[in-house]
Amino acid sequence: MDSKRRPIHGGISRNPNSTSKPAMAFHFLRALSHIRLTTRRGSSLARRTLRIRRAAYASMACSAGTRRAWSRALLRKLRSPAPRRGASVLPRRAARTTSSPDTDLRQALALRRLVPGGAAMEHCELLEETADYIRCLNAQVWLMQAVVHGLGDLSN
Amino acid sequence: MDMSENNKFGMEKSNGDGMPPEWQFSNPAMSLVPANTCIAAGLATPLTSSPYLPAPMVDALAAGHWNHNLRGECNILSTTTAISSTPIGKPITMSSRGMILSTAPGIFPTSLPHFPADSAFIERAARFSCFGGGNFSGMNLFAPSQSMAPSHRDGMGVQDLKTEFHMTENKVGLLNGSPVKNEIDKRISHIVIANSESHDANLTEDGQEGNTDSTDAAGNSSPSDLAVNKRRKIIQDVATDQADRGLKETTKENAESKQKVEQNTSRNTGKNGKDSTEAAKEGYVHVRARRGQATNSHSLAERVRREKISERMKYLQELVPGCSKVTGKAVMLDEIINYVQSLQRQVEFLSMKLAAVNPQLDFSIEGLLAKNILHGGSSSAIVLSQEMIYPQAYPPHQGLMHTGISAMANSSDTFRRAMNTQLPTSEYKESSLQMHNPWNDQLLNHMTYGANPPANAQ
Repeated sequence: MDSKRRPIHGGISRNPNSTSKPAMAFHFLRALSHIRLTTRRGSSLARRTLRIRRAAYASMACSAGTRRAWSRALLRKLRSPAPRRGASVLPRRAARTTSSPDTDLRQALALRRLVPGGAAMEHCELLEETADYIRCLNAQVWLMQAVVHGLGDLSN
Repeated sequence: MDMSENNKFGMEKSNGDGMPPEWQFSNPAMSLVPANTCIAAGLATPLTSSPYLPAPMVDALAAGHWNHNLRGECNILSTTTAISSTPIGKPITMSSRGMILSTAPGIFPTSLPHFPADSAFIERAARFSCFGGGNFSGMNLFAPSQSMAPSHRDGMGVQDLKTEFHMTENKVGLLNGSPVKNEIDKRISHIVIANSESHDANLTEDGQEGNTDSTDAAGNSSPSDLAVNKRRKIIQDVATDQADRGLKETTKENAESKQKVEQNTSRNTGKNGKDSTEAAKEGYVHVRARRGQATNSHSLAERVRREKISERMKYLQELVPGCSKVTGKAVMLDEIINYVQSLQRQVEFLSMKLAAVNPQLDFSIEGLLAKNILHGGSSSAIVLSQEMIYPQAYPPHQGLMHTGISAMANSSDTFRRAMNTQLPTSEYKESSLQMHNPWNDQLLNHMTYGANPPANAQ
């Protein structure tokens, strides 16, 4: 579904646009407004929390676009209603390339679980995707904090 | 990292004469730089300012004495000198990928009997050395070598010529990708890989057609290659005396299928350790075995992979706060995992907070936030702020909604502009534009509630 545009060069792709905050903000705020509009009287906090969290991840993935494997995986996960089965199954390829002692393997597994789509990545790719994911997470957290802060200011 | 290595070789000072600066900087494996300078110095341009290529060396090269003042790092120099000097040992020196010192001329009496292209080679090298940032597209330096190659099936020397050329013309390739060069690149890179990976591997000689992917480099060899390999073995023994293997290659710009990291060994033996520089170019990366390391193709690939991983780990170290002093992969990974987990928990927490605050808010908030977040980049943001001044207290919901909605309209415009400027990808633009339609519909619907339209329309 997504064009798998991979950076061809050997190094890390340090795209300056990799975390585009305005786009992320737009996505997120729009989703927030939508949630606010469609929130029903009796909807619980938990449900709203889930929706907002989903909106946050969606805005993250949208801002990253289809350039990144993790954003593609995240978009896939968000768009497909059914929960993915066997998401933690490591492909043979990834398992073979993690030729490291036990603790490293454990950490690699933990990282794979954390990063969306991490199960199907090689170790090298996993590290790169983790870096980008961390950048986007930072941006998203900053955005949400700004929203909360702004909301807090206005309601005071 | 690259610059330090450049400094080490003093090249940035020395390449004043017509050497395009890119040669020093664009190539992370700056090994090519000395090679290029060597060739240039040897053949055409005296790099008198270079500490490693003094004028006497140039003269010596010109004179064809290849047995003297060979700087360690500039094995190409030796090769070129060898080439320029018609006597015996020359082909062998070339074949050694520049590792051959001139110290063992006696070994080479069994060298290639024929090397008719010497003068042609010298000519080409001379021509080739006149880089000076010039345009090489018109220069078909390698045509003669191409024609030459098939005629010398024995052609270890040829291939090494091509190796040399490859190094220099890789630089050229960085400047302008000429199609001729691409061909050569394919040929030479394959040869180089062959050389680097296994000394006893047979050098596939038909550089003519692009034997691009012979990273294994061990296969197809004609009988003549065995002799070549034998000679190369002898040369290898000689070359191990040498401190450094100065032969370096840059990566070609044109993508090749295989990738290996290009190694760069320093001149002094002391720096045998971590001199590898990873070529950040796309495409073909040449790996050269470090001194004292296995030259197996597997181990080389493994080393490439390890270096990639270490580079990414370093980058992650920068990202994760407080990890600059942490050493070791395991600890680093732990930190990374903790950080990602903490970020995800933060997102969760903030979303809960937003959900809690959510019901009491209205659109004005988003407008304000949009302005804040966009740093007021455009004029519409200023309009936004003016509108935000209106609701000092909390006026009726609808009035606020007005300003909020108009603010949101502004913000959406601003967003769209910001997005369009920042995200040139077409698909994203489409999606962003599409998103505006339902947004605007909603806004219009809400606008009808209000009594008065906003004072300053944008």
